[in-house]
Amino acid sequence: MVQVRRTRHIGWWLLLAAVIVATGIAFAIMWRPTLAPHTAPQSFDTTSVERGANLARLGMCASCHTPDLSRPFAGGKPMNTPFGTVHSTNITPDTTTGIGAWSEAAFTRAMREGVARDGHLLYPAFPYNHYVRMTDGDIQDLYAYFMTRPAIVAPARENRMTFPFGFRPLVAFWNVLYLDDAPWQPVAGQSAEWNRGAYLADAVAHCAACHTPRTLLGGPDLKKQLGGGEADDWYAPALNEHSPSPLPWTRDQLQAYLRTGVAHDHAMAAGPMQDVVTHLAQADERDVAALAAWTHSQLAKAPPRKTPAQQAGPLPQPAKDDPDLQRMTLGYAVYANSCARCHDAGRDASSGTALPLQKAIALYDPDPRDLIHITLDGITPPDGEPSRFMPAFRTILTEEQTGALAAYLRKYGANQPVWPDLDKAVRKASKE
Amino acid sequence: MTTYRLQVNGKVHAVDQDADTPLLYVLRNDLELNGAKFGCGLGQCGSCTVLLDGKPAMSCMVPVSVVGQRPVRTVEGLGNATTPGVLQQAFIDEQAAQCGYCIAGMLMQATALLEKTPAPTDAQIRAHMSPNLCRCGTHMRILRAVRRAANTLAAKGKP
Repeated sequence: MVQVRRTRHIGWWLLLAAVIVATGIAFAIMWRPTLAPHTAPQSFDTTSVERGANLARLGMCASCHTPDLSRPFAGGKPMNTPFGTVHSTNITPDTTTGIGAWSEAAFTRAMREGVARDGHLLYPAFPYNHYVRMTDGDIQDLYAYFMTRPAIVAPARENRMTFPFGFRPLVAFWNVLYLDDAPWQPVAGQSAEWNRGAYLADAVAHCAACHTPRTLLGGPDLKKQLGGGEADDWYAPALNEHSPSPLPWTRDQLQAYLRTGVAHDHAMAAGPMQDVVTHLAQADERDVAALAAWTHSQLAKAPPRKTPAQQAGPLPQPAKDDPDLQRMTLGYAVYANSCARCHDAGRDASSGTALPLQKAIALYDPDPRDLIHITLDGITPPDGEPSRFMPAFRTILTEEQTGALAAYLRKYGANQPVWPDLDKAVRKASKE
Repeated sequence: MTTYRLQVNGKVHAVDQDADTPLLYVLRNDLELNGAKFGCGLGQCGSCTVLLDGKPAMSCMVPVSVVGQRPVRTVEGLGNATTPGVLQQAFIDEQAAQCGYCIAGMLMQATALLEKTPAPTDAQIRAHMSPNLCRCGTHMRILRAVRRAANTLAAKGKP
């Protein structure tokens, strides 16, 4: 009896000790100190500021931090994540609402560890899991650039997170899983340009943030690196051996695409990729060439395959014995009367590149989202950008016509079975 | 050729046309409704905007065969010279037309906005009207005219 009681006693003590240790570990993982505000005026070397400006373009900082062009880097863009809506913040040097009180050490910690100056954890919508591998020099240059921007007063907008993700310290556990702080290493045997591209793609341009699928916890699924992800409900195509492109990308096409949004006779930037191109168009051309060299080497892993794109031309009528003949006939009619007048007529000059549709990469994607988005909303070039245009068909086609068109294009353009989730995707996109 | 039965401004018309003939050509050539204009023919300028099932559509991009039962409305349905509609009157009051080529499209684009959003903000007006271009440069007057029409409708207490 006494023996049993003593054993129980020890059990309680052990449990208490375990709780204390676990709390200690959790606290150590979650807690970060406030760093002292920086108040002394600073001066920066102009060449450093210029290098920082180039890095800010390559990293597309403005894409999230400048939703309002009249207020550069003042933040406030809502981003929908599976965990709630996060707003980008003010990264101008305003001392109260921006990062004006941030020392270079505080800025570096934010870039490398995702921790704000006051010690609160930033949500990984800010891709610090990529910036962690930026060189010290690049982070210094970026700091010089942001600290020399005009200060704008813009308090952070309140995030709307679903329970329990409003409790920021939880991000610490995400960091344990996904924040890899091993420094970036060049690959021996590859050219300096390739290595520059590899570094920029990973640590600065964070290509994988959209082009790698995410796990249920919102982290990159590293077993499927560059295997195709998503952005704003667009499919971001795989950049590795799973590239859906029906014709292999050439390096020249890729470079033109990244720089101008148009790869002649191959592809046109659409959706969130337009914003990437807008930024890369202003970055150092040699860096964009390096990005193209590296990305091309990844895409070149895709094995050569036979696709309808190799004999592209007007699309055929549906087969008379097609089991889904009624729908395919409707799809063909929409194609012939709406699409063909540009896509079969080779209207390159006015649209950037109106491809014969067997060459359209969206037809080969693993899901129909990009094809539906492009059909419904067309492609509008950003302000001031040269022509790359497709009209929107959202108000022209009914939901039934849009679905039938997508089904027909998939089957008779790409020669692939119709996506099983097509109708659901059309319904969802039509409501937007 | 196929016979299409189109419902335009509340009336049903039968027209014999090829499936790929743009609705714009049918309106102008077959039905002699010349309000909607041919501008670019590429869906880039908006001068051919009509309402298709209540939503603004560039009629140069609409093959007649996709219209089906959906009602079409053109500028002729808004009013006429003696009894202009509220938007038309606002465009006259603001003298929003210079050459006038884009105006029928502007009016239909604005109609779609006010029917859905009777009290739009200036930002909403700008965003909604942005697909339609005016080469003369009276965009500011056009925006004012839409604002004026919205105010008139609000004063009347009905959309």
